[in-house]
Amino acid sequence: MGGPVTLTWTDWQAIAVPLVLALGAVAVLLVDSFWKSASAELRHTVVTLLTSVVILFGLVFVWARRDDFMPAFCRPAVEGPAQCSLVFEPLTAGLWAVLLIGGLGVVGLSAYRLLAADVPIGEYHFLLLSALTGATVLAGARDLATLVIALEVVSLPSFAMVALRRDRRGSEGAMKAFLVSVLSTAVMLFGISYLYGVTGSLYLSTIANRLNGLDPDLARVAFAAGLFVIVGFGFKIAAVPFHAWLPDTYVGAPIEVTTFLAVVSKSAGVAGLLVLVTSGIAPDGSQLRTVIAILAAVTMTVGNLAALRQVEAVRLLAWSSIGQVGFLLAPLAVDNAQAVVGYLAAYVVVTLGAFGAVAVVQRHRPAGLLTDYRGMVRSEPGLAASLIFFLVVLAGLPPGLAGLFTKFAAFQAVIDGHLGWLAIVMALNVMIGLAVYLRWIAELFRLPADAPFSVDIETPAVTMISLCTAVAAVLSVLPSIMFALAT
Amino acid sequence: MNAVLLAILVLPLLAAGALWSIPAAIGDRLAAAYGSVISGLVLIGSVLLWPQNGGWFAYGPQDLPETQIDVAWIPSLGVRFHLGVDSISVPLIVLTALLTFLCCLYSLKITPRIGRTRSLIALLLVIETGVIGTFSALDLVLFFVCFEIVLIPMWLVIDIWGDHHDAAGRKRAANTFVLMTVFGSALMLLGFLLVQRVAGTLDIVELTSSPVAGGHGIPLVAALLIAIGLAVKVPLWPLHIWLPDAHAKAPTVGSVLLAGVLLKLGTYGMIRILVPVLPDATATIAPYLGAFSTVAIVAGSLACLAQTDVKRLIAYSSVGHMGFIGLGISTLSPAGLRGALFANIAHGLITGLLFFLAGAIKDRHDTSDLRTIGRALYARLPRIAALLTFACLASLGLPGLAGFWGEMLVLLGAYNPAPWLPRTTFLVFMVIAGLGTVLTAAYFLRLVRNLCQGDPAENPPAAFAVDLSRIELVTWAPLITLTVLLGLWPGLLLQQWVAL
Repeated sequence: MGGPVTLTWTDWQAIAVPLVLALGAVAVLLVDSFWKSASAELRHTVVTLLTSVVILFGLVFVWARRDDFMPAFCRPAVEGPAQCSLVFEPLTAGLWAVLLIGGLGVVGLSAYRLLAADVPIGEYHFLLLSALTGATVLAGARDLATLVIALEVVSLPSFAMVALRRDRRGSEGAMKAFLVSVLSTAVMLFGISYLYGVTGSLYLSTIANRLNGLDPDLARVAFAAGLFVIVGFGFKIAAVPFHAWLPDTYVGAPIEVTTFLAVVSKSAGVAGLLVLVTSGIAPDGSQLRTVIAILAAVTMTVGNLAALRQVEAVRLLAWSSIGQVGFLLAPLAVDNAQAVVGYLAAYVVVTLGAFGAVAVVQRHRPAGLLTDYRGMVRSEPGLAASLIFFLVVLAGLPPGLAGLFTKFAAFQAVIDGHLGWLAIVMALNVMIGLAVYLRWIAELFRLPADAPFSVDIETPAVTMISLCTAVAAVLSVLPSIMFALAT
Repeated sequence: MNAVLLAILVLPLLAAGALWSIPAAIGDRLAAAYGSVISGLVLIGSVLLWPQNGGWFAYGPQDLPETQIDVAWIPSLGVRFHLGVDSISVPLIVLTALLTFLCCLYSLKITPRIGRTRSLIALLLVIETGVIGTFSALDLVLFFVCFEIVLIPMWLVIDIWGDHHDAAGRKRAANTFVLMTVFGSALMLLGFLLVQRVAGTLDIVELTSSPVAGGHGIPLVAALLIAIGLAVKVPLWPLHIWLPDAHAKAPTVGSVLLAGVLLKLGTYGMIRILVPVLPDATATIAPYLGAFSTVAIVAGSLACLAQTDVKRLIAYSSVGHMGFIGLGISTLSPAGLRGALFANIAHGLITGLLFFLAGAIKDRHDTSDLRTIGRALYARLPRIAALLTFACLASLGLPGLAGFWGEMLVLLGAYNPAPWLPRTTFLVFMVIAGLGTVLTAAYFLRLVRNLCQGDPAENPPAAFAVDLSRIELVTWAPLITLTVLLGLWPGLLLQQWVAL
């Protein structure tokens, strides 16, 4: 016998959701390709329904098993408890819920007559579900190889989605995102190879254990390696200074795809980084946390300051989403999963709503300038009220209590983590962020307008935006829902 | 009483929502009457809350506020929905309800030129909810939330209904106001979180009965952050730079609420949170607070002497008066605190009246520039000029009117500050502040001389020189009556705070 017995075991339920999402992706593609006889509307509806059912299955599963612990692809470790490649635990449940809700929202906003007619729906939903598969795996991943592969499964469909419209702006945006992503993957793999070299393992738990007992020289190497991994993630979530690709990509893509990038893709990146931090790659007191904290401060400041100068709605949302990532990184730097997931939940809901509202306006006024929104409180009171609510939540001021309390939780995490300087930077950014959103809100309120925006809004858009408003309102009154996600 | 408290908090908010759901055409016509009814009900409710005895605020360990609502809100963050009122908060709540009611009443006849009365009234009601919520919050986070509710509505009031001659100016004023306040309140929140880290709770009642000890280290940082955050709102020199523009550009009802009520949120926060929760740290920063307040008194008065715009002048006079309140708080003595509380109410009444009068003069001349308005108001608008003189005298602290008692008690407090404070320093403050009252008298008398007196022959009457209208009389009468009443019978309020 002699050597160790290699023995792996898996709780298959842990991978039920990614598996169903992947099968759903294939099914959607097949339905669309082999059922050309049906009308576009029928095919679109069926594909949308199929995709929604698959995602809803995931949500129901997450809800039913939210308190469970289910490991997959495990093997005994040399030291400590068994090491697993994928784990479903309460934190995973929270992240999956956020990701799936984001995905479902994007599907709803891509309903028939909302999605541009030249976007092939089969491919679109296939890519969306594939990316969601990657995102769910990423949030459950517990070894570096799974992490990288899952991240690629999120990223590759995203570029394809950006380029789906096949015009020049789309291709340019996709190309930029693709090149940056390849670069970031290379950087990350480089870091991972060093981490493996230093610790001899790819499992996060084992790496975390062995990092403690490292001798100082190797610890320096491990720090550099961790830095590379974080930089890799920094590209994916567009943390400053790795953000340059984001605004052009957001503007170039069809707006539904932009929504997807801002909601699912970004949340997946944050989830991956959160997994890394909570599993102990950057333990308390490590310099990596300081790096993340600095990244947070720079990201929110640059994002908000740049957003202050934008005159196009999508560009403003693009830059302000960079600012929001900064706020997400702040509690992440002190390993406060509850604050991160809560923030992510509020961000996802209102970003869906805001992009949904922008899509409505942009379908009729393609320029997408902030001035297009002038006087909307009178001409489109419902849409304007919703949009104002979403923006106020993003700014974190009443009546957007969902945003206020998630920002509060972030502040609390940072103060408890003894990062006073970061808290001051965050306070400054609350002010700058408010200035960003107030410019837009002021346009909505400005009367009288020359040609106020007023159209017959498509029913699915009305439904989705109302739904987002309702959810954001509920989260504002009962914020504890958001913070219960990760515990 | 709990039901009343909840009702006066929720009613304006729901009423505002209902108002927005009415079509604009009908809403604009009905809004002012509707707003008057709602805010009238709130006023009645707030008077019902008036405490029968000394109230809770005894700084004592066991006393609890008589009226309170306490339910868990976000357990994982330690946030509770805890409301309660006592003899410190109720007078301010009544003041808020009164001024909102008068603003709605005033809007029955007199509204900003741009119209959109429906939204204006709805926003006033939202502001009322926010302010009453702040005055009754007994949880630090709830206090913070209510503190912030006011911001966006007030920003809109200034930005939309502000000075119609100067679109860029009112936009800048509104933005400066909201951004400075939001930064201040974010700093204040950091202070609250530091308190929570040390004391493990956010509940003001618990924190008052077992305060955070220690005058240095984290409690000091917390006290500094909270003090700076509240000082932006007060506003204390040199953080007052948002105030003159905001007051001058806001519409009349906006200025009245801004000066009469919103500024009190800052001083109330100091008395409710800073002094009882962080007593040692507050004692450490009290001399600096007193120094800045004294500078505010002098700087505000000197700035007033240089003003040529009647609304800016009254705005700067608020800086001086709020400086007195800050000085009173910084003495940490019973007399000083009582003076500060009294001056809070008196300033709300008198400055509310002054801004109503300034608005009336501005509406009649379509400018608030003193040089354009000309002189001899006694001849052209005798009743309004007489009321202006009355309000100026009340504001400069004429004995027998409400403005006198607060500032006298503050000076008394500075003469005899809390024993652990450096007395000599406060004596100096007292002397300088006394000098400030002389300056206050100087600029108000200058205002009266430049505006009201003069030869009527040299100053042609304005086109629409209608003297006091009926709605103005009705709106201002309560303020005038209360100014006289509190001046003659200060005990009405002071006896509420004997336990202090």
